[in-house]
Amino acid sequence: MTEEQRPTMQVDVVSAERELFSGEATAVFARSVLGEIGLLRGHQPAVLGLGKAPVRIQDTQGDELHFAVHDGFLECRGDELTVLADIAELAVEIDVERAKEAYARAVRHEQDPEYEGDAAAEKARAQLRLRMAGVEGY
Amino acid sequence: MPGAAELRTLQRRINSVRSTQKITHAMELIAASRITRARQAVEAARPYAVMITRVIRDLAAESSVADHPLLTQPAAVDRVGLVIVAADRGLAGAYNANILRRAERLAEAETQQGRDAVRYIVGRKAQQYYHYRGEQVAESWTGVTDRPRYADARQIADRVINDYANGDIQRVWLCYTDFRSALRQVPSVAQLLPVEQRELAGGAGYTAEFMFEPEPAEILGQLLPRYLEHRVYAGLLESSASEHASRQRAMSNASENASEIIDELTREANAARQAAITTEISEIVGGAEALAST
Repeated sequence: MTEEQRPTMQVDVVSAERELFSGEATAVFARSVLGEIGLLRGHQPAVLGLGKAPVRIQDTQGDELHFAVHDGFLECRGDELTVLADIAELAVEIDVERAKEAYARAVRHEQDPEYEGDAAAEKARAQLRLRMAGVEGY
Repeated sequence: MPGAAELRTLQRRINSVRSTQKITHAMELIAASRITRARQAVEAARPYAVMITRVIRDLAAESSVADHPLLTQPAAVDRVGLVIVAADRGLAGAYNANILRRAERLAEAETQQGRDAVRYIVGRKAQQYYHYRGEQVAESWTGVTDRPRYADARQIADRVINDYANGDIQRVWLCYTDFRSALRQVPSVAQLLPVEQRELAGGAGYTAEFMFEPEPAEILGQLLPRYLEHRVYAGLLESSASEHASRQRAMSNASENASEIIDELTREANAARQAAITTEISEIVGGAEALAST
């Protein structure tokens, strides 16, 4: 079967502040609480929690779109798939310098009891952003 | 010469009004662009609201999860939280006064029922208002309303959810200004907590083949705070758009008033100049006649 003939599903990626993607796609890859999953049209219906991890979407042209998703849910209804993210960014839109600064700040704060879990969460967010942007060493 | 002095005073006043007008006109233009931006943010945030509401409704239709603490009405209500959204700055007509009056009317209604009102306030103007009245507030946030971000809404929502979960307060109201149109903004109140059953009714539910990870109850427990954060976020955005619309109107009126004052003063200045010239001519003529008659 060629790329064009693969069955598609309606995929929406929305974050609290805006909609990042809405359209037809052939496959969605994500890391859920169950582990890495790939979803195609007709997958068993599911509602899955997402951690801080990349979400990849294959569109109808065979191109892959990468999103950094920081916590949220994925709902799959066979021919419809919705990603509800607390925060989501398109990988190509990530501000590398800002993420590096945030990473350095989080590392500095990590030992400081005043910041507790905040620094760890901040570090995880910065790491995900940097990895998504293709920066080595994080 | 008295005429010339008067003319100079008038000229000075005209210049002063003109520079005020420049400022009010600039504020009007800035406010106009901010309304657009706030409206766009409201539109951009809508898909998330639609989706999360649908998912929560479907989850709530699962009988096993309907007794979540954020969904159930506490047995006794004796302390009520009010989240009051006003502005950081004035010069926005009656915007701040209107929302504060609306919030206080609600607080009074609750007090008359024998309940304490606990205030969570947003905006420097609200801070000043309660400080002046010697009223204690549980927490206040500033620097938010000019351009609200989701993280701001999250802080506010998390604080009230926390207090509600601890049992400090048993009901939470959100007092914000609803943006109906550029000409109409309505101070409004909406119940945040407990989440009203009718908001979540009508979900289709999930068929038996659905796989949940984690458990539906846990998913709902994680989604409900997001839902509330998003409602606060929407309230902040509506209020922000309303604030800018009020400011635009107030500043447009101020610019118009300035124009009227400038016209008035210019007329006076012209009259004064004319009077000065007339005086001068009659003096010259008088002098010439005096010379001629000798």
